Amino acid sequence: MNANEYQGSFLGRISIRRNQVVVMDAIHEQELEDIELFQKHVSDRFSELSSPSDDDAVLSISWLCKLLDVFLCCEAEFEAILLMDRDPYQLSKPPFDRLIPELLDRAVKALDICNAVTNGVESVRHCQKLAEIAISALDQKPIGDGEVKRAKRALSTLMAAINLDDKDGTNAKSTERSWSFGRRSGNKDRVAGQFRSLSWQVAKNWSAAKQIQSTIYNLVAPRGAEASGLPSPIYTMNVIMIFVMWALVAAIPCQERTGLPTHFPVPKQLNWAHSLIGLQEKIADEWKKKEKKGMAGLLDEMQRMEKSAQSLIDFTDSFQFPGDAEKLQEAAGHVAELTEICRIMEQGLTPLQMHIREVFHRIVRSRTEFLDVLEKASLPVI
Amino acid sequence: MDECQSAIPTVDGDLHVVAAAHHIVKALGTTKNLSDDLRKILIDLDAHLSTMTSNIDSKGGKGFFGVEEQLKQVERKIMIWESEQMMIWDSGPKDTSDYLEAVDEVQTLIDGLRSLSVYENQKRKELLRRASSLLQMAMSRLEDELIHMLAKHRQQFEPKYMSCLSTRWNVVYNESFDSLENEPAKETSSRNCTSNESSEYIVDLVPAHVIPDIKSIAKVMFASDYGQEFCEAFIGERKEALEQYFAVLKMGKLSIGDVLQMEWTSLSNEMNKWTRSMKIMFRVYLASEKRLCDLILGEFGSFNSFCFVEISKATLLCLLNFGEAVAMGPHQPEKLLRLLDMYETLSDIVLDIDALFSDEAGSFVRTEFHGLLERLAGSVKESFNIFRVSVSSNKSVYPFPGGGVHPLSKYVMNYIRMFPEYCNTLNLLLEDRHSDAANLVTELQCGRNASLSTSCPMACHLRSITSSLESNLHKKSKLYKDEALQHIFLMNNIHYMVQKVKDSELRHFFGDEWMRKHNAKFQQHEMNYERSTWSSVISLLKDDNPGSSSLSKSTFKERCKAFGIAFEEVYKTQTSWCIPDPQLREDLQISTSLKVVHAYRTFLGRNPAHVDEKCVKHTVEDVEKSLLDLFEGSPRSLRNSPRRVKP
Repeated sequence: MNANEYQGSFLGRISIRRNQVVVMDAIHEQELEDIELFQKHVSDRFSELSSPSDDDAVLSISWLCKLLDVFLCCEAEFEAILLMDRDPYQLSKPPFDRLIPELLDRAVKALDICNAVTNGVESVRHCQKLAEIAISALDQKPIGDGEVKRAKRALSTLMAAINLDDKDGTNAKSTERSWSFGRRSGNKDRVAGQFRSLSWQVAKNWSAAKQIQSTIYNLVAPRGAEASGLPSPIYTMNVIMIFVMWALVAAIPCQERTGLPTHFPVPKQLNWAHSLIGLQEKIADEWKKKEKKGMAGLLDEMQRMEKSAQSLIDFTDSFQFPGDAEKLQEAAGHVAELTEICRIMEQGLTPLQMHIREVFHRIVRSRTEFLDVLEKASLPVI
Repeated sequence: MDECQSAIPTVDGDLHVVAAAHHIVKALGTTKNLSDDLRKILIDLDAHLSTMTSNIDSKGGKGFFGVEEQLKQVERKIMIWESEQMMIWDSGPKDTSDYLEAVDEVQTLIDGLRSLSVYENQKRKELLRRASSLLQMAMSRLEDELIHMLAKHRQQFEPKYMSCLSTRWNVVYNESFDSLENEPAKETSSRNCTSNESSEYIVDLVPAHVIPDIKSIAKVMFASDYGQEFCEAFIGERKEALEQYFAVLKMGKLSIGDVLQMEWTSLSNEMNKWTRSMKIMFRVYLASEKRLCDLILGEFGSFNSFCFVEISKATLLCLLNFGEAVAMGPHQPEKLLRLLDMYETLSDIVLDIDALFSDEAGSFVRTEFHGLLERLAGSVKESFNIFRVSVSSNKSVYPFPGGGVHPLSKYVMNYIRMFPEYCNTLNLLLEDRHSDAANLVTELQCGRNASLSTSCPMACHLRSITSSLESNLHKKSKLYKDEALQHIFLMNNIHYMVQKVKDSELRHFFGDEWMRKHNAKFQQHEMNYERSTWSSVISLLKDDNPGSSSLSKSTFKERCKAFGIAFEEVYKTQTSWCIPDPQLREDLQISTSLKVVHAYRTFLGRNPAHVDEKCVKHTVEDVEKSLLDLFEGSPRSLRNSPRRVKP
């Protein structure tokens, strides 16, 4: 319709007004469509994550990489919905003046978790190195006492690292180490010298569990009119961020995980959240089972490593030359499994660390962009 | 060792030949389409060879006797230490070399025994087993020795050791933009210490005399294929040492949340510590650590760089994340100098980082620090911008009492006085915004007839900041109702700016033209002040009828009275005004005095007949003296003052 035809006339003016309203409605409709699409994508991505193939079991290294990819994709889409062509003033008004600062606050907490986890990957790598020593000892043919002892020393250190209480990684070690200063104890079963503590990045009282707890605190699903508008993708993004960080903390050794929440409320009727809730329940169950035991975390490869290492320790304990053929064969099986795990770690840990770092930088960038928009909104109109 | 080499070959030859022949015969026997004759021959041959083998076996049993003896000897040498509380390397070079020799011997025995694997012999197997077990025991022992040695010889360093590296700023400019009050602390700079010769700072993290011992352990452990154990033990121990050094630097272990919430003074402290720690960490500790790794592991392939990266990673992540947290924090103008310090330090060190972490294993470290450098550059630019914006947007509701130098002028001028220290960096970082800034300030005329220092990006930005300051001061001056006080305020502040530029490095960047212009500006305000305060007062004394020689008595009286009231009024107000600079105050008093006193004296001189104490309340001398009380910042009144003319 050509607005000029009506220009000057009263009717024309009304018509232009109506056109503007139509435009506004169109924008609003577009927005709703975008939000719906975003949530559909979230749903699709998480349902893909919750039906993993054999190669990437839930909480395996490659699965975590996929999870982080999902985070990056969702984040990019979310940012586009919220910030592209957005009038900054809209975001400075209620309820966004509360929702966005809360989101950014969670983002900062997520950054600290990324760092703690990056550090945790280092201790996984340390375990890998110890496993490799055991492998190279037990790969010898025939296996003799020397090889068995060598493997046992490395495996005991490995188990100690796995069972290390992540509350005070250093204490456990300093007592183990005291012998090395001048006095050599006769204890044959002492933990080997390569034993390494996890060196924490942040203050001693920093706790990954508490950090996760505080991100969950006052997370409320939007209700009423808010449930269909922009508050809803903000909520979705919050949930994704919390879930990703929570899964990382559950999987990878991390400073102080005692009391890690096993549940955060996401209303079941939200369509996009089905798969995510399923995954959450699955991981939470695993966590509850493992919490009291060692604290290596739920990383699939670490759990498999722990099992094989324990079997091999049992093997080394009962080993008597030349060894029972059946047991030797069984041990060879565990060595093969351990070798496979080490191969996966060798290939996967660096990319995982890179992914975590990428997520870190993305969160920083996105936070900056939100802050820029908020700042624009706070400037006086010129 | 010679013994062993001679013991094995005696049986070696026989064993090999017979075993090889036996193998071939056996292999041929399995072929399917053989004639019966041929098969029979092969079976005979097999039987024959078998007897030969068993002969040699018994002989070989004796042949291994030498090896066994040798093994027993070495076993004694190695086992003796197992029950010993003392560390081998603590008990002297003789024991040490004996032990290493014994380990070598075991290794040679194992190699010899392994080379006979073609031949299945129980005795050989058993000996090999014993030897391997012995080797394992020795290796485990060596690992303990290594850890003990590294822990025992861990060198301690005092932070003051690196005093030259660390003190660029002894005093911190901690003032925030919001606390525009006192003059900031003078910063003492000592930049002459930023030498790039990193080799100067390399220290022995482990005493030089211990290096050969560690190397000897590395050598035998790597030779026995226990390199992984060596590396893990070495990494564990050195990592702990590095963390200890790091702890000495007192960098707080802070979460990003902590840094973002930190109050400015503490943050500024932490930023300083970071700057200092970065230099010491990379130039001293890591450079030395790298050398240590190279010295000890250099000959075993890429283990040296692998170990180095593993040792340093955790500590580096700490430094890295503090930098990231600062870069993402809110950009406040007061952060600018500290950010510049951080940026300059990192850009200075980034080449060292590239060199230290040159290979694949260190690519993570390199990428991250290069990224951080970029982000710090962004923060510097952003903070600079915000500084400029804050300068022009700083708002006052009430006029600044007395018309003196406004805290904003002090803050800005003292702050930008620090910028020439960072000239090169600022020029680099501000370059791309250069044209914007020039557009903002039309009076700048960058480059025209100007020397390099007045036309560089930083100079343009500096002048744009002072010109923002000037326009803000103009706005602030409008808060005074009294026009004269507006001029006093502007005169004071522009004079202050000129003084600050003149007395510092800033003069090179502002240039003569700026100085001339601004000298003229505050003089203009001086003149404007005189005009707006005194021209009406002086006009009372003017002779509006130049023809007649004197005024009538009544007119004279009236004029005198009016002058007295006007003068007292000015005195009352303007004694509370303030010109902090004594020279400027004196100049203004003199020039005022010249005009007013001259006019008053002429006025009185022209009407000598009417001059009496009743009419003339103030003598010329009184007026002259009273003028000296102006602009002292303490309000007085002539009516009640002791300076009142005595009857």
